[in-house]
Amino acid sequence: MFDGLIAFGHSLGSFLDPLSLGLILLSSLAGVIIGALPGLTATMGVALMTTLTIKMPSNQALLVLICTYVGAIYGGSRSAILLNIPGTPASAASCLDGHALAKQGLAGRAMGIATSGSVLGTLIGMFFLALFTPILGGLALKFGAFEFFWLAVFGVVIAGTLTGGDPLKGWIAGLIGIFSAAVGQEAIYAFDRFSFGSRDLAGGFNLVPALVGAFGFAELLVAVREKSFPVKINPFDSVIPKLKDVTAHWRTIVRSGLIGTFIGILPGVGEDVAAWSSYAAAKRASKEPEKFGKGSIDGLMAAETGDNACVPGAIIPVLTLGIPGSAPAAVLMAAMLIHGVRPGPMIMIESPTFVYDVVAMMMYATLGILLYGLTLTNLLIKVLMVPKPVILPIIFVLCVVGSFAISQRLFDVWVMLGFGVVGFIIRRLDYPVAPLVLGMVLGDLMEKGLRRGLVLSDGSLEPFFTRPISAVLWVTIVVVVVLKIPAVQRHFARRKLARAA
Amino acid sequence: MHASPYPVSPRTDLRTAFFWIALGACIVFASWQMDRFEQQGASLYTAPGLWPGIIGLLLAVLGGVLAWRSFERARETDWTAAEPDDTVLVPASRFRLATAMFFTYALLLVGRGLPFWLGTAVFVTAFVYTFRRADRVAEGTPVQTRKDAVLAIICGISTAVIVSQVFEKLFYVRLP
Repeated sequence: MFDGLIAFGHSLGSFLDPLSLGLILLSSLAGVIIGALPGLTATMGVALMTTLTIKMPSNQALLVLICTYVGAIYGGSRSAILLNIPGTPASAASCLDGHALAKQGLAGRAMGIATSGSVLGTLIGMFFLALFTPILGGLALKFGAFEFFWLAVFGVVIAGTLTGGDPLKGWIAGLIGIFSAAVGQEAIYAFDRFSFGSRDLAGGFNLVPALVGAFGFAELLVAVREKSFPVKINPFDSVIPKLKDVTAHWRTIVRSGLIGTFIGILPGVGEDVAAWSSYAAAKRASKEPEKFGKGSIDGLMAAETGDNACVPGAIIPVLTLGIPGSAPAAVLMAAMLIHGVRPGPMIMIESPTFVYDVVAMMMYATLGILLYGLTLTNLLIKVLMVPKPVILPIIFVLCVVGSFAISQRLFDVWVMLGFGVVGFIIRRLDYPVAPLVLGMVLGDLMEKGLRRGLVLSDGSLEPFFTRPISAVLWVTIVVVVVLKIPAVQRHFARRKLARAA
Repeated sequence: MHASPYPVSPRTDLRTAFFWIALGACIVFASWQMDRFEQQGASLYTAPGLWPGIIGLLLAVLGGVLAWRSFERARETDWTAAEPDDTVLVPASRFRLATAMFFTYALLLVGRGLPFWLGTAVFVTAFVYTFRRADRVAEGTPVQTRKDAVLAIICGISTAVIVSQVFEKLFYVRLP
């Protein structure tokens, strides 16, 4: 316990130099602006920042990425409240009550609630990040190839099930991601798969350009395709959070913080589900559920606490299992790998202080959003007024240069373009992109788990189904899939109706 | 989350389903054709084609389920039900122009001999000017050619200079 506190204190102190503090201020600001601009998401922000920080020392690069991630999830609330347009998908739930408060002339108070909810949500998630990571890390040491195979499958299945409206399309998107990870030389015989004689393709798709394409370029194409509407912002009151709003809603804050953290831990689910789940739970528990959607402080507090608590929650499985808890966390994990950090069960043994470094980074990111939450309102409004035709080409230039910067080859720019087009098309066809990303990130782990497991068991599938942790995982996967079959859902609905009658 | 689980018509879903089935079948076929290293005493479960073969098979199966579901939906409603809301979209010609500009920049202006800063300045200036003007026309506000041109040139030059300097001088990246 005290060892952990000492390590945390040491980690906090290690970032107290002018360069790190400057990076915290800049990257939190960049995150808040990216999050506030409709069409630019946290995943895109973290992916772009990964390309910008490629030459930095690993701790500083990850500091920048975590501050951007936390800042972007928070920043989304600004456009949700002021424009009724969620800056990121995670802020969609905040539109309901945040904008309703703004229409009542209380946008300042709504922004104050968003700030306090986001800060407290991140702190709650951070507490569990520090508490659970060493425990889960110890548990994860019991995982072998069989368990990692099922865990990776579980991640893609859960992401496919929960991140879109249609699980079937989510699973298909996940398979496309897994397939793209299988392109290039495989691990046992270095055999070229689907490379068609191309030396570039034989190396497989570089993860970061693919992610910049799937989230950056694809989102730009979506933004270009959609009409922009003139920005109109009404005058508002003070943005300083009120202590009364926090004390009167402490139950909502704690509940949403726990829900957000738990959903963050679930592989691949992410902040938007955390916000909606916290919102729904707050509505169920509220004495005034009729106020939800009409300017409920409880509703806004729940959504903002839930989505920000999800951020540290999503990093827990990254550190302990090497399985990302959300799409931005998947990019963060890719960045860790690029910087030589190997997230997974061995992290508590190989570099035990790294976990506390991440908690300290999260703490500084929280201070960053608090600072900008209190001071940045007018600048953010000016940013929101910048016309789309000015922002889009600049972001595209960053997508191109960032993709090139990773390995300094034009092939990565083409990968970015290709994945951007695929990402755009599947979005238009109502396929979620998060499972695609999870598939890309986890495909390799899945294949290695399956083939290593089969080698260990001499070709027998039995250990995949009989080892205790494997059994829990595959049974959960089967239950999740079966419960999404329409005939099964109809059966349960009929039984529920019959019981009610 | 989603307002409706099916904002895409059954016809579009069916076409996509056929694409997934075809892609899955191609992956399975290509995986089957891959070397299995049997002459080196390798077993089936270490064959390079095993994993992509499984993925291709699953993709084809899920594509089949999507096709079946599209028929079910079409029977309940009709083939063109639930198309996406096109009223929030810009005209297709404008989208095509923007996409063409993105691709021209990434494929022709970058890494083809033209200095990076020049290609970037030209792209950003052209994009900002073209679409600022298009926005004004769409909004019905007076076109301000000179003002938009100045804004576009400022954006183009400043983006080119800042991006080049930051990447080359700060991150030591050799630009394309």
